[in-house]
Amino acid sequence: MALGTITESEIETDLRADRPWVCVVWDDPVNLMSYVTHVFMVLFGYSKERATELMLKVHNEGKAVVTSGTREEMERDVQRLHEYGLWATVQREIEP
Amino acid sequence: MSSFHPLDNGDFSITFTSQEAHVLINLTEQLLELLADGDGQSHQVDPLLHLVGISNSEAPPEDPVLRRLLPNAYEDEQAAGEFRRYTEHGLREKKKAHAILIYEALLPQDEDWNGDTPLDKGSIQITVPMSDSLAWLGGLNDLRLALAVRLGIGSDKGTPHVEGAVSEKMQDADVHKKYELMLESDPMKAVYAVYSWIGWLQQSLLEALEGQ
Repeated sequence: MALGTITESEIETDLRADRPWVCVVWDDPVNLMSYVTHVFMVLFGYSKERATELMLKVHNEGKAVVTSGTREEMERDVQRLHEYGLWATVQREIEP
Repeated sequence: MSSFHPLDNGDFSITFTSQEAHVLINLTEQLLELLADGDGQSHQVDPLLHLVGISNSEAPPEDPVLRRLLPNAYEDEQAAGEFRRYTEHGLREKKKAHAILIYEALLPQDEDWNGDTPLDKGSIQITVPMSDSLAWLGGLNDLRLALAVRLGIGSDKGTPHVEGAVSEKMQDADVHKKYELMLESDPMKAVYAVYSWIGWLQQSLLEALEGQ
């Protein structure tokens, strides 16, 4: 690679780096729907409508992004969700 | 069956039969033992790291119940391991605190109710403060998750797989049917009954919260 040139893959890498981090909750056949909704409301301060919408997305699509922000913030959110038994992971924002 | 009732001051009241209380006491005791299991491993290796809550272990727990209670925070194994090293001890502590809260609330509080009371007699009335409701819900949920793994309900993998979600759900419907049809004499039928009951209990607290 010549000095001073930027390859296409490097540009892609940079764009990836700008994407925010997200907290993804995965579907689980054990956790009650009403419980998952309640946890979203209490941990993230979501309205009942918003929390229910997210819970249904998890239930119907297998997963849903519930919060986004810095990596540290998302790690904190995942940790809190794990404390209450929800299945969550940290990742880069999902490609549109 | 016992259910939670909202009180005027925002707290919740529930009366457990002696038998129900014993089931919850036994289960929370087992959960506390399980959560302590393997947590001290890093202690011998590096007490200083253990003191600040950092473990030397990056590997997910071997026990399938612990793997479900302490799941990976990243799909990537390496990132999950690094995160686990700094956070698993704290997560265990939090879950232990939830279990202890339930356990201590149910321990005999007077002479009328003690461990020697026949299982089918007597009852214990307790008050769950509003501020403890989420911890109770979380503690009950951990008991359900632990029983679900033992019953084979849901996946016990450390990382969820979205591709398998639909087929897994069908399998779960089959699992529920299996236990519904199981003979009363099968010990797993009783485990399934307890699993269902704790779900019912959790739902009862959620409904009481809704009513506040």
